[in-house]
Amino acid sequence: MDGSVDVHVEDLASEGPVDTDAEDVGESGEQEFEEWGGMETDPKDQSAEEGHHPGTKPKKPPTGEELRTIKEATDLFRSSSFKLQIDALLPNIRPKASRIPPLDRFLLSLHSFLGGLPSVPPQHPLEGARRLLKKNVSVPYSVPLPSEDTNWKVGFEKPSDIAVIGSWGNKISVKAKDGIRFGVDIAVEMPDSLFQEKDYLNGRYFHKRAFYLATIAAAIKSSKSGLNVDVLYDSYSDDPRLTKLVLVPKQDNSQIDFTKLHAQVCVIPVLSPQSPIVHHRLSPSHSNIRINTISGDDSTVTNLPTPIYNSALLRALTPKPQLLATYTLQAETPSFGDALTLLRVWANQRGYGPGSRICVRGFESMGSWWGALLALLIAGEERAGAPKSSKRKPLGRGLSSYQLFRAALDFLAKHDYEKDPVFLRTKDGKHRYAPEEYQQNHDAVFVDSTSTLNLLAGVPLGSLELLRHDAQKTLETLDESSFSGDPFIDVFLVDHRDLPARFDTLLRIDLSSASPLNPSIQLTMDTGSTANALIASLTYTLRRGLGNRTKAATVLSSPSSPRSLSQAHPSNPSVIYIGLIHHPQNAFRLVDHGPAADDEDEVEKQRFRDFWGEKAELRRFKDGRIIESVVWDVKTADERAHIPGMIVRHLLNRHFGIEEDKIQTWQTSFDSVLRLPEAISSLYLGSGVTTGSKGAITAFDNLVKRIKALDDDLPLALLNVSPISEQLRYTSVFSPVPLPPSLASTMPQTARYIAPINIVLEFEKSSKWPDDLKAIQKIKLAFFERIASVLMSSTEGLKAIVVVGDGISTSEILDQASLEIVTPEGWAFSARIWHDREATLLDRIIDNKKALPHVTQKPEDHKRGREYRDAVEAKEVYTRRFIHAPRHHRAIASLSHQYSAYTGTVRLAKRWLASHWLLHGHISEEAVEILCASLFIGDGKDVGADPDVKIDERASIPGSKERGFAAFIALLKGWTWTEGLFVPLYGKDAIALAGSPQSSGVKASAESVWNISTELDKGGRIWTSRGPDLVIARRVNALAKATWDLLQGVEQGPLNVKSLFVHPTDDYDIIVRLDHGSLPRYFHNVTVDASLLSRRGKYANLLEDPSGGIRPGFDPARMLFDDLQRVYAHTFKIFFDPFGGDRFGVVWDPTLKQPRPFRVLGEFSSIPIKKESEKAKDKGLVSLNEASVLSELERLGSGLVIGMTVRV
Amino acid sequence: MALPETVSGFTPSPIVYSPSSTHYIYVRPHSGTKKSPQKTLPDGRTLFLVNLPPDATERELVLLFKSYGTVERVIFDLDAVELHHEEQSSDEEMEDVTKVAEGEAGAEDKPRKRRKVAKDETPKVIPLPSSNIRTLRQSGRSAHLIFLDASSLDRAMASASKPRAWPTSSGEPSGISHYMALYDSLRPPLDVVQAHADSTMELYEYELQKTKQKSKFRKGEAIVDEDGFTLVTRGGAYGQTLGGGVGVASKRFQQNGQTKRNRGKKKEAQEKEGFYGFQKAEKQRNKLMELKKGWEEDKAKVEKLKASRRFKPY
Repeated sequence: MDGSVDVHVEDLASEGPVDTDAEDVGESGEQEFEEWGGMETDPKDQSAEEGHHPGTKPKKPPTGEELRTIKEATDLFRSSSFKLQIDALLPNIRPKASRIPPLDRFLLSLHSFLGGLPSVPPQHPLEGARRLLKKNVSVPYSVPLPSEDTNWKVGFEKPSDIAVIGSWGNKISVKAKDGIRFGVDIAVEMPDSLFQEKDYLNGRYFHKRAFYLATIAAAIKSSKSGLNVDVLYDSYSDDPRLTKLVLVPKQDNSQIDFTKLHAQVCVIPVLSPQSPIVHHRLSPSHSNIRINTISGDDSTVTNLPTPIYNSALLRALTPKPQLLATYTLQAETPSFGDALTLLRVWANQRGYGPGSRICVRGFESMGSWWGALLALLIAGEERAGAPKSSKRKPLGRGLSSYQLFRAALDFLAKHDYEKDPVFLRTKDGKHRYAPEEYQQNHDAVFVDSTSTLNLLAGVPLGSLELLRHDAQKTLETLDESSFSGDPFIDVFLVDHRDLPARFDTLLRIDLSSASPLNPSIQLTMDTGSTANALIASLTYTLRRGLGNRTKAATVLSSPSSPRSLSQAHPSNPSVIYIGLIHHPQNAFRLVDHGPAADDEDEVEKQRFRDFWGEKAELRRFKDGRIIESVVWDVKTADERAHIPGMIVRHLLNRHFGIEEDKIQTWQTSFDSVLRLPEAISSLYLGSGVTTGSKGAITAFDNLVKRIKALDDDLPLALLNVSPISEQLRYTSVFSPVPLPPSLASTMPQTARYIAPINIVLEFEKSSKWPDDLKAIQKIKLAFFERIASVLMSSTEGLKAIVVVGDGISTSEILDQASLEIVTPEGWAFSARIWHDREATLLDRIIDNKKALPHVTQKPEDHKRGREYRDAVEAKEVYTRRFIHAPRHHRAIASLSHQYSAYTGTVRLAKRWLASHWLLHGHISEEAVEILCASLFIGDGKDVGADPDVKIDERASIPGSKERGFAAFIALLKGWTWTEGLFVPLYGKDAIALAGSPQSSGVKASAESVWNISTELDKGGRIWTSRGPDLVIARRVNALAKATWDLLQGVEQGPLNVKSLFVHPTDDYDIIVRLDHGSLPRYFHNVTVDASLLSRRGKYANLLEDPSGGIRPGFDPARMLFDDLQRVYAHTFKIFFDPFGGDRFGVVWDPTLKQPRPFRVLGEFSSIPIKKESEKAKDKGLVSLNEASVLSELERLGSGLVIGMTVRV
Repeated sequence: MALPETVSGFTPSPIVYSPSSTHYIYVRPHSGTKKSPQKTLPDGRTLFLVNLPPDATERELVLLFKSYGTVERVIFDLDAVELHHEEQSSDEEMEDVTKVAEGEAGAEDKPRKRRKVAKDETPKVIPLPSSNIRTLRQSGRSAHLIFLDASSLDRAMASASKPRAWPTSSGEPSGISHYMALYDSLRPPLDVVQAHADSTMELYEYELQKTKQKSKFRKGEAIVDEDGFTLVTRGGAYGQTLGGGVGVASKRFQQNGQTKRNRGKKKEAQEKEGFYGFQKAEKQRNKLMELKKGWEEDKAKVEKLKASRRFKPY
C-alpha cells in the first residue's frame, strides 16, 4: 500500500469558520454605514458606495471617458468582469520591462562578438567535425550523414547580418509553462559565399549549417568571448536538422547578466534571400534526397517527395518576412498582441507548447503558428482560383482581443485540416508553389504569408484533432450561461494538461523495443530521425485503424530539453502516451468492415489483410454480403469499453513489434474495483443464474406483473409501481446479483449479503383510507399482509414477509412498514406504499391547522411538541421517499441510457467515496449521482431530448468511466461548496410537468454544507440534508486532492489503481476492527482477502443459521455503524466503508476534551475532573470519559468487534 | 487528587466496566417541580440518574440498585414520556401508569396505545410480539428510578459513590446477537401482523365512532361558543355559513390572522413615471450610475482576486 491516498491530520480536526470573507464584507458595510448614515438614508445608494474604489468620487455620474470604457468592456468582451480579469492576467505573462536593459546590453556584445569571429577555411565536413570535437563540441550533422568521400566543403565566415526575430522582436513574447525561459531568437545570416546552388540536395545545406552553428558554439563557449553563458543545443521538434544554440545566462551581476529577466537567447542560422540555393526546388512535391545515388539507377524510389525536409529548409528563409508580416499586422490591429497572448496562454495551459510535463506531440515549438492563425482571421486567406463564396472572410481589424481570441477558437473548433488547406494572404496575391502540391504531400496545410512554408508540416493530424476538441470544449464553457463559477478561471488559469481527465482511453507505451514491420528509409530521411519516423508512421497507422471510433487519437510525450554541446543529436522519448477521445456512437463497434470479397480491387483487399494481420477474416453477414472484416470479441460489457485500446494494442504489436507488456492501460484495474471477487463470481457463473442489471429489471417487471395479477384479491387496485433503487438504474457499484436458495448454501458466510431493491407501490385513490396518520400506517400493515399471503399462495417458492419498522424510530406517524419479497430466483425487493393523503395530514400538523377551518391560534409551544417534531420528520421522509426518489430514479435512468459512460462514472465515484469511508454514512448515493450527472449534462440543453434525434455531442462529455471518474475527482477537488451547484437534471419540460417547484419541506440540518440543487429541488438539500458537514466536506476536498495527485502519477510511470481506493487510517483516534467472519458483506471489500471467501473459512460455524435461510439486507456492521452514529452523535464522528468494510474509524469531537461545566443533558459520557487538592472548590467540571466509551463500543459490538487500536 | 464528591449537586457514582474503564452515573434524589406531575414521579423515593450507558435496560438498572431496595419502575428520558402523556385524558393516564408499572422489563418502548385497557366495549389491540430487544439511546441520557419506599432511596444515596460493577443482563442480547434478534423480531409472522392490524383498525373505527358521537359540532349547524358568539367561517367543512349577511373573514385572515394593511400604497405607484422632465433625467442618470456601480464592483472583485495572486496562470 505504498502509494495510498495521503491526507493530513489537520483536515479532520480543524473546524473553523468557512467564510471569513463574508464577515469582512459585513463589517466594511457597517463602517460605510457610519460614514454615510447621516447624509444618505436610502439603503440602495448605500450599497452603491460599497464597491467604490478609493479615489473616485462617489455620487458622480461617470464621465464620457469612463462611460466609453465601460461600454466597450461589456460590448466587446464577454462581460465587464471578464475584461478586467483579462487586463489583470496580461502583465503576469509578459517579460518585465524593467529587466530588459541587461539583455539589450548582452545582445549588443553578442552582436559585436559574432561580427568579430575569424573565418574558418573550407574543409571536409568530417575533418571540421574532428577539429571541433577537440573543443568538446560535436557537430549536429543530420541524416544522411556526410561520409569520407563527400566532395563539398564546410566553412565559416562571419555572419552577413544579425537580427532579433520571432516573438521577442515584435514584443509579443508570452511566458511558457513550468518556468521555461522566454526565448529571444537571434537570426544569424550565413553569408552567401558559403553555399552553392545544389546545396538543397541530400542535406548538404543542413551539414553546412550544422558546422556553422558548431563553430559559433565553440567560440561562445571559449572563455575568451566574455559572454558568461551556458551554451546548449536544442532542436525544433526533435529534428536534428533544425538545431539551434541556446544561451542561458549565468548569474554574475555584471552589466550583461540578464538572469533576472528569466530569458534565454537562441541563435538560429538563416539564409539570406539572395542565397544561391534554388527556391523552386523546395516545393512540397520535390524530392531532394537521393537515397540510392550510390548504388544505382532505381529512379522510382529516389524520386519520392520529401515535404518535411523541404519545409525544414524553407525555415531558413522565412523568419525575416514573417517578422515583418507580424509587425505590420500588429501595427494595423491594436488588439493583435493581446489576442495572441490570450491564445498562447490558452494553448500553453493545454499542453500545446513547451513544458516539462507531457505535451502534445508536434506543438513543442509552434510559436509562429499562433500568430499566423490570427493573421488568417484578420487578413483573410489567399485562394487563387477558388470560388469567392468558399473564401473565408477577413474579420477586420477593429475587434477586441477577446473577440479575436474567440474567433481563433471558433476556427480551431470547426476547421477540418485534412480536407481544407489554408493559405495566408500574401502581399502580392500569388501562390509561390501550386496549392495542390501541399495537399498531396502534407497531412495538414497552413501556408504562411510568404506562401512557401507549411507551418503545420510534420504536425500529426491527431494533435490537431485534439486541438479541435479542446477548442470545442472551451467554447462550450464560454457559452454555458448557467455555468456555475467563472469561465475565466477554467479557460485561462487552470492547467488542463492532466492526462486522466482528458482522454477516454490512455495508453502508456514503451518504445524502446519497437521495430517497425516495414521500416521506410525514405520516411526517416524526410523526418530527420528514426524516432520521428517511427512516431509519424505510428500516428498514421493508429488513425487508419481507429477510423471514426475516435474524435482524436493523439500522441503525447515529454518534450526534449536543451542538450549539451557534446551531444550531437536530440535524445528521443522512450515512452510515449497515446490518448484517445472516443466518439460515443462508434467507439465500441464490434466489427470493422473492409472491402467486399467480390471486390475487383485485389490490392485493396490485400492492403486490408496486411493492415490487420491475422485479425482480418472473411465474414458472411445476415444480408448476404461477404466482406473482409475484423471482429473484436468481447465477453462482458466491461470489455466492450476496451475495444479502442485493444485496437491500439493489436496494431502496435503487428506493425511495430511492441509487446503486450510494453503497453500499459488502466481500464482493467478500474474494472476490477467494481467487480465481485473471482471466488464469488465463479460461483455465480457456475450456477447459471441471470445476474446484472438486466436480470434485476426483468425480475422487477415480473414482480410487477405478479402483483398486478392479484387485483381481484386486493381491496384496492394497484395503480403504479415505481422503482427507487440504484440497482434498477444501473448505478449500483456492483452489478446486481440474486441469491437463490440453491446458491445461498454454497456461498461462504462472508458473501451472503443481498441488497433489497426498493420499490414504491401506489394504489388507486379511495375513500376507504382512514383520515388519520396512525391508522394509515396500520392499514399499510394490513395491506402488506394481504399482498404477502396472496403472493405466496400464487407463486411457488416466493417468500414475502412484512417488516414492521426499523427498530429505532418509535414514531407512529412515520412511514415504517415495508414488504420484503424474495422471488424464487433469489431477487430481494422491499416495497413501500405511497398514500398521498399523508402529506396533507402531516402539513396540517406542521402548520398547526386543525380539521376545522377557523383562525388558527398560535400557541407558543407548538413547535416544541413531540407531535410536531414527529410530523416534520415524517414529512421529510415522505417527501424524499415518495416524491423525490421516484423522480430522481427516472432522471438518472434516462441519463444512463443517454450517456454510455455515465453509469461507470457513478459506480467508480461511489466506490471511491465508499472506500474512503464516506458514502452512506455521510454522503448519500443520490447526491453522488447528481454530482456525476453535472459532468455530463452541462447546462442541461440536451436533457430529456429525444434520443432518436441526433444532437451534436458536447466535447466535454466524458467518453469512458475512467475519464468520468477523473473529472469527478477534479470536480470535488476544486468545488467551493459554499457556492452550491445547480444541476439541471430534469430538463426543461420537468417543471411544466411537476407544476411549480414547491418548497421541499426538507430542512438542512445545521451540519450539512453541500448544496446540490435541481429544477425540482431549489433548496438543494433533499439528498444532502444529513451531511456532509463542514469537517467531512473539507475531508472530501483533501481526499480528492490526494487522489488527484496520485492520478497524475501516470505521467511518471505505472499507476496502481487500487491505491486510489486504499484509505489512509492514520488520522483516526480509534480504529475499530471487525470480525471478517461475521460480515455477510465482506466480499464487497476493496482489498478482499480471498482466503476468507472460501466455504471452509475458519469462522464457518459462527453465523450458521439453523434454517440456512438468507436475510435480505442484513448487514450487522452497518446496523452497528448506524447505531453508533446515532448514539454517539455528539461524542465522535465515525467512518465506515459500507461495502464490506472491516474497520470503523472514529474521531473524537475535539471540543469534548476540554473540561466543561456539568449539564444534565450533556449528550456525552463524562467523567468528573479530579480535584487539584482536597480543599479545592467543586467547580462541577466534567470531560469526556474516553475509556468508558471504548468499553461501551466493545459491549455494543460484542461478537463483531475483535479489537481496537487507539491512537495516543 | 480525588474525584469530587458532588458535581453540580449530583453524586457521581462509579460504575466499573472493566479494570481499566469506569463509567460515571450521576445520581440525585428527584425533587419534583411544579411542572412535572407528582403522581408519575413521587417525591422522596425517586432517584434521578444522569449519563446512563446507552444500552442500559430497565432490568440492568434494577439489578444495579436492587441491593438498596425494591425498584418499582424506571422511566427513561422523562421529557418524551411526559409529552406523550399530555395528549391523553387524565383518567386513562392513571390506569396506564399502573399498567406500565406492572409491565415486564423492556416493555416501555412499546407504543402506549396498544396497551391501553379501557372499558369493556372497547376493542382490544393484539400487540405485535415483543422479544427482549435492547433500546439503544443516545449517550449521556437520563432516567428516573422509583423505589418502593423512601428508605431505599436514602440507602442508595448513602453508598452512591462506592464503585460497583455494571450488571450485564443476559436477558437481552447485545452485539451481533442483538442485531440478529432485532432483524428477526421486525419480521413477525404474517398472522400476527394481520391480527394486530385488524384489531388496531377496529379500535380506530370504534374511537372514531365515539368522537363523532361526542362532538358537539354537526354539519350544517352554527358553531356557538360559551359566550354565545357564532363562529362564522368561509365555506369549509360545514357548508354555507348560516344566516347570511355576515362579513366573512378572508382566507388570508384565516391563515395568518392579518388583515390587509397597505391599501393606500397601490395608488402611489400609479403616478406616471416619465411625466416630468426631471424624472427622465433622473432615470437616465440612475441608469448610468448603476452601470458605473457594476463596473466598480467588478473592478473591486478583480482587485481582490489580484491580491490573492490568482491571475498567475503558471
